[in-house]
Amino acid sequence: MSTADARGAGEPLLSVEQLSVTFPTDDGLLHAVDDVSFRVMPSETLGIVGESGSGKTVTSMAVLGLLPGRARVSGRVMFEGRDLRALPEKDLEKIRGDRIAMVFQDALASLNPAHKVGDQIAEAVTVHRKIGKSDLEARVLELLDLVGIPNPTDRAEQYPHEYSGGMRQRAMIAMAIANDPDLLIADEPTTALDVTIQAQVLDVLERIQERTRSAIVLITHDLGVVAGVADRVMVMYAGQQVELASVDDLFYESRHPYTAGLLASLPRLDRRADKSDRLHRISGQPPSMVFRPSGCSFHPRCPDARLGGACTQSVPELREVRPGHRAACHFAEEIFQ
Amino acid sequence: MLNFLGRRILYTIPVVLIASFLLFVFVRATFDPTAKLRSGRADSAAVAREQERLGLDKPVVVQYTNWLGDFVRGDWGQSERTREDVFDMIRRSLWYTVQLIFWGILLSATIAIAVGVYSAVKQYSPLDYTFTGMSFVGLALPPFWFGLIAIELLAVQPVKWFDLQQPIFSFVGLHSGDSTGFNLDYLRHLALPVLTLTVQIIAGWSRFQRASMLDVLQSDYIRTARAKGVPRRQVIVKHGLRNALIPLVTVMALDIGVLFGGVIITETIFSIPGMGRLFYDSLLAGDATVLVAWTVVTAVFIVTFNLLADVLYGVLDPRVRLS
Amino acid sequence: MIPEEEMRRSDSQLAGRMDTGGIVPTELSARAGVELSGGGGGDGPVARSQWQLFRKRFLRHRVAVGSIFVLLFMTVICFGASWIAPYDRNSQDLLLGPVSPNADHWFGTDELGRDQLSRLLFAGQISLQIGITVALLSTVVGATVGAVAGFFGKATDQALMRFTDLFLIVPDIAILALALQYFGQTNFTIILVLAGIFWMYIARVVRGQVLSLKEKEYVEAARAAGASPFRIITRHLIPNTIGPIMVDATLAVAGAIIAESTLSFLGFGVQPPNTSWGKMLSDAGGYVGTDKAYLLYFPGAAILITVLAVNFLGDGLRDAFDPQSGRK
Repeated sequence: MSTADARGAGEPLLSVEQLSVTFPTDDGLLHAVDDVSFRVMPSETLGIVGESGSGKTVTSMAVLGLLPGRARVSGRVMFEGRDLRALPEKDLEKIRGDRIAMVFQDALASLNPAHKVGDQIAEAVTVHRKIGKSDLEARVLELLDLVGIPNPTDRAEQYPHEYSGGMRQRAMIAMAIANDPDLLIADEPTTALDVTIQAQVLDVLERIQERTRSAIVLITHDLGVVAGVADRVMVMYAGQQVELASVDDLFYESRHPYTAGLLASLPRLDRRADKSDRLHRISGQPPSMVFRPSGCSFHPRCPDARLGGACTQSVPELREVRPGHRAACHFAEEIFQ
Repeated sequence: MLNFLGRRILYTIPVVLIASFLLFVFVRATFDPTAKLRSGRADSAAVAREQERLGLDKPVVVQYTNWLGDFVRGDWGQSERTREDVFDMIRRSLWYTVQLIFWGILLSATIAIAVGVYSAVKQYSPLDYTFTGMSFVGLALPPFWFGLIAIELLAVQPVKWFDLQQPIFSFVGLHSGDSTGFNLDYLRHLALPVLTLTVQIIAGWSRFQRASMLDVLQSDYIRTARAKGVPRRQVIVKHGLRNALIPLVTVMALDIGVLFGGVIITETIFSIPGMGRLFYDSLLAGDATVLVAWTVVTAVFIVTFNLLADVLYGVLDPRVRLS
Repeated sequence: MIPEEEMRRSDSQLAGRMDTGGIVPTELSARAGVELSGGGGGDGPVARSQWQLFRKRFLRHRVAVGSIFVLLFMTVICFGASWIAPYDRNSQDLLLGPVSPNADHWFGTDELGRDQLSRLLFAGQISLQIGITVALLSTVVGATVGAVAGFFGKATDQALMRFTDLFLIVPDIAILALALQYFGQTNFTIILVLAGIFWMYIARVVRGQVLSLKEKEYVEAARAAGASPFRIITRHLIPNTIGPIMVDATLAVAGAIIAESTLSFLGFGVQPPNTSWGKMLSDAGGYVGTDKAYLLYFPGAAILITVLAVNFLGDGLRDAFDPQSGRK
């Protein structure tokens, strides 16, 4: 493993090492996550980008040990000097919601419809420490206020279905930061929202981070979201990492055909287009996670693939192609020079 | 909430009225209150007098409204079979039936929730398979046969097998001799009838609760609770069961009708003088007066239970409260 | 209430209702009540290979497959009773009287010396006949009415719901017993009266399925493309509901058998000289606690085995049609 990545040295907060997750299915073994390794430094924001099925959610669930029983997991997840994967459930429960917290998409489904919002936020606190009733109430109101929910006293007594979509998402964030976690994992927090609300929610996340100095892992399929918020970005495809770099490097100096394809397919309002210009797309479909292509998973769709050569024969390693910038492509240097 | 309840009541009143009208017409059409008279004396003048006395010569609608007027004032007529006041008969019978149903629901709900939660949490465990198998058998058992077999194998035969003084479980009525109140004797009498009444219901509710719990445990909010660090047990009960009970309430309310039907069998087999027994005796005798009152009272009970269930549903599920 | 809420509740009502009480067993409840939100089995346009898929999934349920054999066996021996039964339908041996099971009479005899095994087989004809016919009749009527009500909605739908509501507030056994007193108690009337109640359950369940299917995108797409209601019904709705309907029909057989035997046991159903399993139990009821108790076991076991097999079959069919139900 190479030493410090783009941002300065120091102890990583979270270190995922060679994480793999497979699920047995009727048709065979499904490789959801394949040999993924990355670090999260304190107070940084790491974006994990990929389309549906790329393994990004499964990766985050694996960190917290929230995968269903039939998942087979290997690798290490080092946090505060301990391998989370090796911890008994009781110890994991202490860490979840306290040191590492998670925010899910679709807050309507992710909040218990039968409990008041205030109670659910309070639960996040009381599960981890003893606290007096009035202190608890004050804390809940404080959190609601922090995430920008108006009338917190009234809102705390309401149920999730009485909130709007954006407010629900913010309530989820409030719940997640209740104990000032060191690491906040946000899984597609903006996907179910429309653009203006998205901006508000991202804003909240940023403000929180300024206040609490927690690290954030932001999972999304939307490059635009990542561009504004992340310090470093990891791109995933078909369960594997294909690129890992600082946000600027990724956007301006991408070294993987998939990333390049993603960037190229973003509609650009700041460039003139001819009538004959068409929206760029990456041809083909993501591969089956059970029957994967030989060699590089992306080769069937890669415009630069050297068929018959390394691309079809060996899986490219995630290697450093520029200082602090890694990509998993056999021909990264050639293609982008 | 009150709004919602009010609307429901407003809706059910016409339903009960229409149903009672149809039942009234139907029962009157099926059983001729003057039948005894006809088969006895066959004196057409006497028959005509009786018909007039009972108001049978008037149009059906008028008969019905007369009956309805009497009914709401508490005058339910006299039983053709026993000449007793129908109101008293039903009141007495209801007491027994309500006991059976009360214990029945209590037992069924307890077992169903326990089994359902266990089976869902430990899905595919040997005990889960056992419970599922038992549920299948329970659903396939005709309750009346279960009652008979239960008497045979749990009450009568053990006396011979174990050389007992008297059966462990009694199978006649709800009390022995002069015994009253809630005591061991009562429980020994209750056991088999309540079991017979509820064997299918327990089987059904258990399966339903298991399914409901499984469904709920897949929900995203369960995942959120776990991600918050809520301990497993608390997740299952406070988050899981809490929501999984909601559909069960609806099922329970609906099975009230089944319970009221089930007592017909149970009380007959176990000689309990409740509503079920009353229906059986009255139907055999063609006692129209009792039958009409019986069906209306039963309908009112069922409707009331359904309303209660709606309330309970509203209590459990905040989402329906604001309609 | 929100329409979906109402639908979900009324159908889980239905489902719950059918669940127990010896009238209509409820696999339908486990199905209709909890799964309804997802719509009927088999999403999307129907492919030819669905039949093979279905067959493959069904064959995986060994219990369900086994049940088919059990049912076939029961059907054959009962309807072939005239040839198979060791004794004549009505032969009595008054001198012999009631005897416990022995080599001559495998299931013993009753107080008229009638061989119980033979009686069981002949009674089975009636019980099975009634059960199957009621199921077929009520399914055809119920599914049609339910589909029409669900599809055309509004007035027809309300009419169906309000009408069936009337029957929900009085216990089924009571209605059935009363009705049979009025219409008479021949096999024919028993079938009609039972079907007269059963169709309502099926109609409500099918109506619910159609309602949720109607919302699905491919139906909207078909409508937008100008498909006539007839085409939509035949091409999209029926293929996707035929599975659950078949499951309903199967489970209705079980319900009808239990209903008929309950009614006959009470004396309100099959009358002499006809006999059914329930009637046999009615005759044997008084022998509890005596040495003639063996008369109880065989007809009851016959009902139990048959209904159990039907339920397993229905369960297997349900899982084969809708693997997403994901539970045993």
